[in-house]
Amino acid sequence: MRDLILLIVGAALVNNVVLARFLGLCSFMGVTTKIDTAVGMGMATTFVITVSSMGDWAIERFLLMPFDLGYLRTVTFILVIAAAVQFTEMVIRKVSPALFQTLGIYLPLITTNCAVLGVALLLVEGKMNFIQSTVFAFASSLGYSLVMAIFAGLRERIALADVPRLFAGPPVGFVTASLLAMAFMGFSGMSAN
Amino acid sequence: MDPTRNRDLIEGIARVVSVEGGVAVLEPEQTTACGHCVSASVCGQKGGLGDRLVARRFEVPGDGLAVGERWVIGISERSLLRASMAAYGLPLLTLLGGGVAAQAMGAGDGVSALASVGGLGIGFLLARWRARSLEDGGDLSPTLLHRAGSGDMCHTE
Repeated sequence: MRDLILLIVGAALVNNVVLARFLGLCSFMGVTTKIDTAVGMGMATTFVITVSSMGDWAIERFLLMPFDLGYLRTVTFILVIAAAVQFTEMVIRKVSPALFQTLGIYLPLITTNCAVLGVALLLVEGKMNFIQSTVFAFASSLGYSLVMAIFAGLRERIALADVPRLFAGPPVGFVTASLLAMAFMGFSGMSAN
Repeated sequence: MDPTRNRDLIEGIARVVSVEGGVAVLEPEQTTACGHCVSASVCGQKGGLGDRLVARRFEVPGDGLAVGERWVIGISERSLLRASMAAYGLPLLTLLGGGVAAQAMGAGDGVSALASVGGLGIGFLLARWRARSLEDGGDLSPTLLHRAGSGDMCHTE
C-alpha cells in the first residue's frame, strides 16, 4: 500500500503531467477560464485516461511485448484511446441520456488531448503491473485535474485584476503558468528525500 | 468580462433546429480542446462531429423560438459538478477499489484486472441510480437565457 501511495504522490505532484512533462497544454490554456468547466474537463479526462490505461496495459502485455511489435505502440494506443472515448460516450448515453447531454461536450475533446497518449506511453516505460499502471494513470490524471482547477482559479482572479494592456489575456496566463510550474518544482525535493 | 453574465451558470450556445407542436429542439454548438469553435479549426480538430451533436439535442418549450436562431443556454455550476461526480467519480472509485482490493488479497494481474472491470460495472449501475435522482430534481436540464448576439462564440464558460 505504501508503494501505491508513493506512486500517487510521484505521478500527481512530483512529475505532474502538465507542469513537469508539458503535456495537455492545449486544454490547459483553453478550458481553464472557469473552475467548474476545468473540473468537468479534468474529471472526464481522468476517467478516460484510467480506463484507456487498462486497455493499453493488456495490449502491451499480451500483444505488443510477446510478438515484438513495439513499433506499433503509438498507433495502437491512439486506437485504444479513441475506443475508450467511444466506450465512455456510449455507456454514459445508455446510463442516462440527460447526463450525456450535460457532459458529452467534454468527451470528443479528450481524443485530441496529448496527455492521454503521453500517460499511456509513460506506463510502458515504467514496466508496471496492472494495479500499478492503473493507479499511476489515475494519479497522473488527478494531477492534471488539480493543475487545471488551480490554474482556472488563478485566471478567474486575474480576470478581475488590473493587468497592463500589453499583458492582458494569454500573456499573463503564460506568465502565471510558468510561476505555477516553478511552484510545483518544489515537490521534486520530496523525491530527493 | 461581460457584467451581464450569470456567474452561477456555465453558458454555451445552442441553435434551434426545429419547432413543432409547441416543443423546440436545440442543438448545442461544439467546441474543440482549445476552447474555440470546431469551424475555426484552430487546434487541428475539424468537423465530423455531426452525429455527436444530433445525440446531444434537447427539447424545451417552443414559445417564442424560431428555427435557425442561436440561443445562449446555461446550466448551473453545481449541477455540472454533481453530474461529473455521478458519471465519472463513482465508476472510477469502484474501478480502483475493485482492483486494489483484489491485489490486497494476493490476486495476480489477471484477477485484479477482472475485479477492476467488475468494479467499473458496479460503478456504472451506481451512476445510473444517481443520474436518475439528479434528473428527477431537474438538475440536468439546461435553461434558455437569451438570444445569442453576433459576437457570442460557441465556447462553454
